[in-house]
Amino acid sequence: MSAAQNAPGKPASGTPAAAAFATLFLLLPAGLVLGAAFLLPLARLFGLSGSMPAGVLAPYLELLGDDVYRKVFFNTVFFAIVVTAVTLVLGYPLALALARMRAGWRALFLLAVLMPLWISVLVRTFSWMLLLERNGPINRALIASGLTDTPMSLLFNKTGVLIGMVHVLLPYAVLPIFGAILRIDPALLRASEGLGAPRHVTFRRVLLPLSMRGVATAATFVFLLSLGFFITPALLGGASEITLSMLVENLVNERLAWPLAAAASVILLALTLALLAVAGRFLSPAAVAGVGR
Amino acid sequence: MLTRRGFLAASAAGAALGTQVLGGLSRAALAQGRPLTFCSWGGALSELEKTAMLEPFARSKGIEIVHTSPTAYAKIKAMVEGGTPEWDLVDVGGRYIFQGADFLEPLDLSLIPNAKKLDAGWVTPKGIFTSTGATVIAWNTKALPADKGPASWKDFWDVKTFPGPRGLYKPFYYNYEAALLAAGVPRADVYPVTDDKVKMALDKLRELKPHVKVWWSAGAQPPQLLASGELAMSSAWSGRIFAGIKEKAPVAMTYKDGIAWGNAWVVVKGSPHKAMAMQAINYAISEEAQTRLLDVGTYGPVLGAAAAKGTADQKTWMVSAPENARDMLIINEEQAALYSAKYEAEWNRFQLS
Repeated sequence: MSAAQNAPGKPASGTPAAAAFATLFLLLPAGLVLGAAFLLPLARLFGLSGSMPAGVLAPYLELLGDDVYRKVFFNTVFFAIVVTAVTLVLGYPLALALARMRAGWRALFLLAVLMPLWISVLVRTFSWMLLLERNGPINRALIASGLTDTPMSLLFNKTGVLIGMVHVLLPYAVLPIFGAILRIDPALLRASEGLGAPRHVTFRRVLLPLSMRGVATAATFVFLLSLGFFITPALLGGASEITLSMLVENLVNERLAWPLAAAASVILLALTLALLAVAGRFLSPAAVAGVGR
Repeated sequence: MLTRRGFLAASAAGAALGTQVLGGLSRAALAQGRPLTFCSWGGALSELEKTAMLEPFARSKGIEIVHTSPTAYAKIKAMVEGGTPEWDLVDVGGRYIFQGADFLEPLDLSLIPNAKKLDAGWVTPKGIFTSTGATVIAWNTKALPADKGPASWKDFWDVKTFPGPRGLYKPFYYNYEAALLAAGVPRADVYPVTDDKVKMALDKLRELKPHVKVWWSAGAQPPQLLASGELAMSSAWSGRIFAGIKEKAPVAMTYKDGIAWGNAWVVVKGSPHKAMAMQAINYAISEEAQTRLLDVGTYGPVLGAAAAKGTADQKTWMVSAPENARDMLIINEEQAALYSAKYEAEWNRFQLS
């Protein structure tokens, strides 16, 4: 860029203006793609949501003012909260165990955690349908073990949705926590023990606070992904497990009520952005970037 | 992220974005470049329409026909509004001839001379029925032996005598009729639709709702969910159950109290192949094509002359055979379009609550 010859070790651009220009130039391709493929359609979505003859705010009032739709919002947030809580409870011990393993075992177990991420969500959800069926392997095992006489209802209800979502989202909880635990200096744990703290005190006062960043990242990831989940609740849930993204699908494909669908999407987006803003106060970009390291 | 890439992206967004991006190019040129495209509901029906009707037609004309599924009314709307129909000929539920009239080409009957040979009820200005089927009561034969199954919608509602989880269609379509029949309304009084009858139907459905485990949206669901034992009993499209029985799935069905309908073919507004699509309709209702349906054994002919050629055995599964038809209600698609649209809000409230 700059005509001036740079001394070795110095950044390529000389003046601050040239540096700014270089940064802009580097951002240009990503900016163009985002603008054309994301911002433009998003603006059209806003436009569509305001295109009802009854007024710009009409679809929003219809969605937010109706107890039936409020139940959909409730379902969406309910699933997100429960799935987040369960993945954290399951994910933390798993992450801790991973962090304490020897390198060879760790690679193997990490692979086991990561493997599901490489399989399509659709395939995983369909597999759960087969497993959770009334006469599926899980029910047959439960009956054979004498735990229950009649098959349990595991599919097309809340149980099915929660099992499926927890399974799909668990890696998103394990990886940030694992990363955070790995970054803790083992000397701190040894110091705590050396000072006579029992193991549970070391966990509560040293390990847990130091890994909290990872837990917060994990919670944010899982919660936000849960909010927009579609395939798993649509396939494993019943008629009363409708979430916001399923409502959008229904409005688009079955009711052909596109302004309403656009408004529901905008609400989902607003909800997500609001949560990100709150989470942003607790998360540094470095913590997010550290995921999976 | 992965999850958002789901159905939505594929259907609505895809269609909308596609039309956006292609909007700048010459639409006519693009549309001319693709072959005649037919969309139907998949499964037994698409198979039948392909082998008995459209493949022989394509051969006789020396053209290529692309087959796709499933029919989605949102896509038709997006295509027509975007100005680039990707489908030309579509198999729709009969109510859509009326509900979707704005998105359909009027049929030019001079291109469809065979229409004169059909019963007048099968021919409408924007759609012609090409095969018959019914929404029937089907069940799992392990839960209920084939000969001891339900014989009416009253039985379907009777969870004491016939216990087990139920399945019903997701839209109000068929459920309005089934619920009124279950409530004891005589077939002749199901139509016309009134506020009182809609209320009666919804009340009756509310009664069964705790036992309805699946509100199915794809025709493939009932036979699969019945065969796996997930459901004991479900409403289902007759041809799908016949196909399941042929594959030795543990399912059975009855035409008693069935809701008979036709599969309607329509031409999408602005289709670049509309004349050819109408000729395809003409071939589909020809005696030659209609007679082929007899041997397939899933959905029956609309043409009386073809139905008359059926053997006694074939008549056992044909909706139009008098011994079956007398036990059934023939759906009134214009009325179905009315209740589907007018009571949509009530229906959605019912589903969500």
